[in-house]
Amino acid sequence: MNLSVVKAYMLKEFTELLRTKMIIMVYLLPSMILLLFGYGIRMEVTHARTLVIDNDQSHFSRMLTAKFEHSKYFDTTVTQMSEAEALHRIKQAKTDIIVIIPASFEKRLLHGQKSEIGVFVDGAFPNRGMTMENYVQGVVLNAAQSVAGSLGSHGGLISINSRNLFNQAMRDENAIVPGLIGLVLLVAPAILSALMIVKEKERGTIFNFYASPLSRSEFLAAKLIPAFLLHSLNIFILFLWATEVFDVPFRGSFSLYWFAAEIYILISLSIGMLISVITSRQIVAVVLTIIITIIPGFLYSGILMPISSMAGGSYIEAHLFPVMYFNHIVYDCFLAGKGLASAKTAEYLGILILYAVILLLLGTALLKKELK
Amino acid sequence: MNRVFWVVFGKEIFGFLRSAGLVAVVLYAFTADIYIAGKGIQIKPRNVKIGYVDDTGGGISRKILSHLHRPEFLKPRRFNSQKALSRAIFNKEILVGILFDQDFEKDFRQGRKAQLNLLLDATAASQSFTTLGYLQNIVMDFSKPNFPVVIKSHKLFNQNADNHTFMALTEMLSVTTLLIVILTAVVFVREKEEGTWDIMLLMPVDPKLIILAKSLSQVMIVMAGVILALGFVIFGAFNTPMNGSFWAFILLTFFYSFSSAGIGLFVAAVSKSTMQVAQLSIIIMMPLIFLSGAWTPIYAMHPILQFLSLFSPLRYYIEGSESIFFRGTAFVDLLPYFGGVLVLGVLLYWYGFRKIGKLF
Repeated sequence: MNLSVVKAYMLKEFTELLRTKMIIMVYLLPSMILLLFGYGIRMEVTHARTLVIDNDQSHFSRMLTAKFEHSKYFDTTVTQMSEAEALHRIKQAKTDIIVIIPASFEKRLLHGQKSEIGVFVDGAFPNRGMTMENYVQGVVLNAAQSVAGSLGSHGGLISINSRNLFNQAMRDENAIVPGLIGLVLLVAPAILSALMIVKEKERGTIFNFYASPLSRSEFLAAKLIPAFLLHSLNIFILFLWATEVFDVPFRGSFSLYWFAAEIYILISLSIGMLISVITSRQIVAVVLTIIITIIPGFLYSGILMPISSMAGGSYIEAHLFPVMYFNHIVYDCFLAGKGLASAKTAEYLGILILYAVILLLLGTALLKKELK
Repeated sequence: MNRVFWVVFGKEIFGFLRSAGLVAVVLYAFTADIYIAGKGIQIKPRNVKIGYVDDTGGGISRKILSHLHRPEFLKPRRFNSQKALSRAIFNKEILVGILFDQDFEKDFRQGRKAQLNLLLDATAASQSFTTLGYLQNIVMDFSKPNFPVVIKSHKLFNQNADNHTFMALTEMLSVTTLLIVILTAVVFVREKEEGTWDIMLLMPVDPKLIILAKSLSQVMIVMAGVILALGFVIFGAFNTPMNGSFWAFILLTFFYSFSSAGIGLFVAAVSKSTMQVAQLSIIIMMPLIFLSGAWTPIYAMHPILQFLSLFSPLRYYIEGSESIFFRGTAFVDLLPYFGGVLVLGVLLYWYGFRKIGKLF
């Protein structure tokens, strides 16, 4: 490798990144995504707008409404609205849940007759709809247990005592922010490197490379190393945002996190570079990069659902994208802290390294150093 | 006058069709990409892997476990010690661990309070929580206090909590936004880069007309994509129900595309090269897409973000589209969404005309 030529080329790339203000993008974009999403995405449902229609107005029904009113999960309004009117409010997206307590609720209960509580949940957001449904059931069951206690029922009661591993307080931040690092470090470097070669193609300056004695691997090294070094800093910046701003605990080894992240950046840069090699217009490269990094990055990150419960095609696809492997390591570093002692982490790190090597070789093989 | 409009319009359409790569990417985005996004994710618990340690004789515990079956749960796997079980959870092989300790059955039989210990992998919060809910219900059935209340629960608009249609629709709206902003911005910036934009402005033609014709051409490209996506993916592959009016959705999409083209116009007005367009549109679009209420409803967000979302046309579009598709809202109740999209569109074009439609 001709080091002095590579160095000169790298210097040119650095200067260009500075002059085109691309450098702002390198540091603004990852932090912005992390902060906006960290504050913006909430899996947990709180303050669901709830209408309780109490047609009974008895001791029991009031006890039940009080349970709703005292829960942080519901913003409860007790009304005498008609059912149709309440449904109309759901259609206008002004209410999420309607709970209807039937007339003579208490009386029937005391006589041991069956009575029905009607619950309507806005299912337009499927997972929120399910969560809200579960919460409502939980509240009613809870009320049922305390009433049963006061009525003096017999028989053994089973209570469930659950321990949430890795995230005792069930903070949304702990569950989401580490996953976002995997998304950010996939998207941002890829967009940067996607433009690097195709830009020269569109402008025609790629002929400088065709005519120069630079070899293909030297050219790629010169293109990727500046981007790689600049993005390496983001590993630390994102780590600080996560631990300092979002208070995510870090239980694992920092050097493992660092090493895995560097490999991951290399993968992401190589993906962008591959796109850059096969496209001929900047616009196509940008759109293609966004589409093939953001969507899998989000779907297969483990933020929305664990990979283990995917089925069929998506289970295989998840294993084809690097984000799953990296996120396993990141979640381990932040929340579990087992490190390389766990065989799976070591295996995934190996896969990431293999991934990086394959992509780099592929990029070198596909890059052409001649006119078509 | 009219002729100029259509000539500019036609020129842009041909320009688009000539670039095979761009056509391919747009087609991919509106079909396969939406299909993958819709197919991939299922938030309802499915194939949840359960492990258990059973130190009881196995009467009640067997009964409880027999309630956990497909498709939600895989067959519970037995572990010999709590240590082995936690190791499996740490390796993400098991999502939920159930511990039946020695006293469990005894306590239950003697009418005392029996405790069931659960270990949940909290990094998969929604699945673990739903599993917890399932278990609570099962356990409730066992302890059956004398309390005859039935909860009759309806999930309106989407009774089975089918995630495929929802994800596919969200993805289509995001793709629409992404493409309309970038395509429009690039159409203007390329002329700026090549220096032909100044010549356009020097011509004795109203610049507003040129800007409108150019935006309309991109809007039409995206509309065609939306119709493809609706036909093949949304209705074709996923059988999404349409509870509201189809034409209301098309009209809303048209207005929305126009006002997002306004964002593209804004991006083009402030940037000088394709490179800058790429940066700026990503920086503007990421918050726009993810904070539009597609992933988290607006009212559940941080108050500052809630306020900012008022300025996002996508917010009105997504809420409007969800209302049309799932809630089947009447046209009168949709007017606020149309209003929001139109007002923002007019403002963006007003800025665009002033900034890019003048030589000096």
